[in-house]
Amino acid sequence: MKQTTLRRLISIGMLAALILLFSAMSGSRFLNADNFIEIIRDASVTAIIGVGVTYAIITAGIDLSTGASMALVGMTMANVYAYTLWPIPIMLLCGILAGLLAGLVNGFIIGRLHVPEFIGTLATMSIFRALTYIIAIRDANGVIMSQPMTYSSFVVLGYAVGYFYFVVIAMIVFVVCGQIFLKYTRLGTEIYAVGANPKAATLSGIDVAKVKMVVYTIVGFCCAVGSIFTTARLQSATTAIGQDFEFNPIAAAVVGGVALSGGSGDVVGTLIGAIFMVTLENGVRKLGVNTAYQYVIKGIIIILVVMFDAWYKGRMERKARELSAKEGM
Amino acid sequence: MSGFNWGKYSKPIILIVFVAALSILRPAAFLTVSNIANVLWSVSVIGIMVCGTIFVFLLGGIDLSIATLCGFCAVVVVEVIHYFNDSVLGLFVGILAALAVGALAGCFHGFIITRFQVPAFLVTFATQSVFMGLSMVVTNNKIVSCTSPKAFTAIGSMKILGFPLPIYFMLIMAVLSWFLLRKTVFGRYVYAVGGNATASEISGINVKKVTILCYVLSGVTTAIGGIILASMTQQAMASTGSGYTNDVITAGVIGGVSLLGGEGTVPGAIFGAVLMGLLNNGLNLMSVPSTQAGLVKGLVIIVAVAFDALQHADQSRKKVKKIAAKKAA
Amino acid sequence: MAETILEAKGIYKSFSGVPVLQDVRFEVKRGEVHALMGENGAGKSTLIKIITGVYSKDDGQIFWEGQPVEINSYQDCQKLGVACIYQELSVIPPLTVAQNVYLGREPRKGRLIDYKKMNEMTQALIDKYDFPLKPTTVVDNLGIGQRQLIEILKGLSQDSKLLIMDEPTASLSGKEAESLFRIINTLRSEGVSIIYISHRLEEVYMLSDRLTILRDGKNAAVLEKKDIIPAKVIETMIGKVVDESAGSKKMLHSEDSAEVRLDVRGLTDKTDRFRNISFQVHRGEILGLGGLIGAGRTEVVRAIYGVDKAASGEVYLDGKKLDPSPKNSIKEGIGFVPEDRRNQGFIPLLSTTKNVALTNYDIVKIDGVAINDGDELAMSKRAIEAIDIRPADPNKPVGLMSGGNAQKVVLGKWLMRDLKLLIVDEPTAGIDVGAKDEIYQILENLAKQGVAVIVVTSDLQELLRVSHRILVMRKGDIVKEFKNEVVTQSRVLSAGQGVEEEAEAIEKAEEGIV
Repeated sequence: MKQTTLRRLISIGMLAALILLFSAMSGSRFLNADNFIEIIRDASVTAIIGVGVTYAIITAGIDLSTGASMALVGMTMANVYAYTLWPIPIMLLCGILAGLLAGLVNGFIIGRLHVPEFIGTLATMSIFRALTYIIAIRDANGVIMSQPMTYSSFVVLGYAVGYFYFVVIAMIVFVVCGQIFLKYTRLGTEIYAVGANPKAATLSGIDVAKVKMVVYTIVGFCCAVGSIFTTARLQSATTAIGQDFEFNPIAAAVVGGVALSGGSGDVVGTLIGAIFMVTLENGVRKLGVNTAYQYVIKGIIIILVVMFDAWYKGRMERKARELSAKEGM
Repeated sequence: MSGFNWGKYSKPIILIVFVAALSILRPAAFLTVSNIANVLWSVSVIGIMVCGTIFVFLLGGIDLSIATLCGFCAVVVVEVIHYFNDSVLGLFVGILAALAVGALAGCFHGFIITRFQVPAFLVTFATQSVFMGLSMVVTNNKIVSCTSPKAFTAIGSMKILGFPLPIYFMLIMAVLSWFLLRKTVFGRYVYAVGGNATASEISGINVKKVTILCYVLSGVTTAIGGIILASMTQQAMASTGSGYTNDVITAGVIGGVSLLGGEGTVPGAIFGAVLMGLLNNGLNLMSVPSTQAGLVKGLVIIVAVAFDALQHADQSRKKVKKIAAKKAA
Repeated sequence: MAETILEAKGIYKSFSGVPVLQDVRFEVKRGEVHALMGENGAGKSTLIKIITGVYSKDDGQIFWEGQPVEINSYQDCQKLGVACIYQELSVIPPLTVAQNVYLGREPRKGRLIDYKKMNEMTQALIDKYDFPLKPTTVVDNLGIGQRQLIEILKGLSQDSKLLIMDEPTASLSGKEAESLFRIINTLRSEGVSIIYISHRLEEVYMLSDRLTILRDGKNAAVLEKKDIIPAKVIETMIGKVVDESAGSKKMLHSEDSAEVRLDVRGLTDKTDRFRNISFQVHRGEILGLGGLIGAGRTEVVRAIYGVDKAASGEVYLDGKKLDPSPKNSIKEGIGFVPEDRRNQGFIPLLSTTKNVALTNYDIVKIDGVAINDGDELAMSKRAIEAIDIRPADPNKPVGLMSGGNAQKVVLGKWLMRDLKLLIVDEPTAGIDVGAKDEIYQILENLAKQGVAVIVVTSDLQELLRVSHRILVMRKGDIVKEFKNEVVTQSRVLSAGQGVEEEAEAIEKAEEGIV
């Protein structure tokens, strides 16, 4: 069997096992249509931003600044909302521009300044968060407050048509387009090439720095869209949006089989991973266990998956070596 | 290659200029003895922690779990003290327990990193979540205050010769760490492994053992930092120490520690921590809230690392050319 | 006669004043396999790099299909229809064969890649040249040989008329190499020209239509198929003139009576890069280990020292069985100077002192737990003085030193110990002539003190110069031992090539004439 197919089956198996486990433990409290709709809704923002993060990880990178980018985008829109009379679409556009800019900054730091991805985005994480505080909406005494954003044409984004929340629809669009983009465009192929073998990519005429710039800009765009839906649902913007969020898309990608060594994985895997992580959260909550355990369980699951992937990769490589040694005889 | 080595001294110089500017801008508030003592007190925890994490940085590794491990150790010490009815025995056991937690955490990081060849940032990124979850579970997500025994609060606030105790702890840790790095065989091995792991292995160094020990040291100093932080604030909670990951990294980077490995000294790192304290303090005196100081810290990290990384890239380009020319000759 | 496709005339090139190519002429005809040979440093790769636009030439002209052309980048040469099959493979493992072949040039329908068309185009190419590949296979699952074929396919997909293959069989198994040879023959019959660079004479005899030999940056000969005879090729590569001077002929002398220091018995590699290797080295003996690159010499010495673990076999030092690992080996008195100095030999950021002391903290004075800095420094000063390391500054980072001096630092750390055995792998690669002599002197002095020395080298002159006895490896086996006899560069080369009988016969005949 192909290695990638096997890995996909493993993540689907993990998800199925988790659903079975919670169904057995909490029965219909967990196992009902409304709950599944809720799970998908809650997984949507992670999956949307996960599209970009997947690209970043395939290039053998990482983005730790996604949560802070979301906050920055949210606060940018709050400023437009509070201080201008611009229509909602313009406000959304400003938010998206802020996201693109944040991503471009990351891309520049990583691609052109050669700063390692995790250090660069760790630094921009604190920069974007600080910028959010700087532009935060304040009351007359200069105290930071949350900005209510209640125009009906904006908060509608947090609602649903029938069973489908807009955020779920957006997520489906993102995942489908994201997957097609990755598999069916030249840039998508180049993303794999950069992550798998940057030297070979350069020899094939691929501008590695440019690909990285584009990828992180896409992450920024995804963050902007994620932030729009988050603020619409909260109907307000605060400085705390996206706090500790950066963990979720990375966890989703890891569980979904996107290897941190680069060059493998896809958007669909990350979607499965995102649903897995949210199901975990949801199930633990439904069990009535202290929700704090989620953080522990999530961390442990990531470590286990990463250990498994490392072990499995080592095994495959050993096998390949033995095979070619045999052929040489 | 001759004359003044800008690469080596550029970072301290930039910061000294910055501090000098602050002193000139706000001489009355900035240049007072009590303010200086205050600055030292406020950076002592970071100073202590960087004494251990420097070992990890020298390997070219990173520890993203510093902040939450610090918080968890603070929680452990406080909870144990309460368990023993606020007795001195409880303090004693609590300190031992916190140190054990730190050492075990470091050992775990080192083991996973060396055994499974998983990138350090990913492992510590996952455990970061675990430690936060554990803190939340243990404290039930509440603030746990602790004002007795007296010996406990003394750790963080007792003054000797006008300077609070943590400053002395920082100095002791700095001397110990400096001694270990500068004077012992282990220290020599750390620089060697960080500079060239393959050559170190061939020279008979047990690279895995050295790596694990470095992470243990990082864990232990983080635990010490957590204990002192709990004592200073007379409380512990899940968010105790939040933001310290960036602060410790920034302190190291400012002090000339290369995050790419092999370069850096303890005096440099302590110098970095103090300068960062001055920076925080200066920003504070200039009425910049701490939430916004992250902007400056993030920029410092990026500038410093980009400086290293660009030099690296440039050198390796030159080297390749030189080698190519030689080979051809 | 077929027309000339590529012609390079009067090529000159020098690096920092040292001439590397002088008035070189090189010509390839349509549909021929043209081999290019020469010893290490003869100028082969420089010539190829000039043709592919990596280097610019100092003087001379290049003609492509009769027209003068300027090639300033690899892209230029691709446009003409020249493709280079890189030694370090440049395929992308997670992509399919077709994706790799058309990377960056994917056929598209609108904005999206047309996989159907891409796979069909790839299949057409595969069918035309009869490659054992499928367009949709993911490269991850393929062996090195098939990955190389993908590169060839990539070149062909760009309508390349000339393929350059640099040591294409270096890391191929026998079966894979055979498959490659078959494909080379197919390509030739389709009118594709191939420049074939190889150290392996047997391949050159079998494949090539013509052979250009370079020696010391000059044309030594262009041989037609009928003239490609082993003895003649080797003779031309080494050069008659040089042959009579010192260094190309030597009376080997070694004493079996000296006690055995190292005894290797039946050492076999896990992945079959060498098998059943047995030999001994005596006190005070310098054993040269010759053979082609990739013959398994480096792997053998790494296994003896313990960097890599062997699958089976034993190593005895002074009669004591060793459990090879770098740490144990150092403890028992073995020193090891690895082949890739910069990546394996030293720590660039650290000073001479710390590099010299790195393996010697068991003998540096330690006060309690603190290293005695004075003693550490004294050791490095001893090393600097003993072998004249320049600059004589013990605090200079080794990464900033010249190749020769960096190598002396790597050697120096072993000289500070009581050694029983020193293994050096390509000790003078990339080092200037003066420093080379000094390093030979160091090895000879060690031998005089009773140390057993193993020298792995691809430089024939060096092999003859330092060795008391020579073992030649070929494809993972020891195939020849030279001891207490007159040995010439051509005999060693022939043994490594696996054509020794023929060459020896010719040599004897020649000697008879003289």
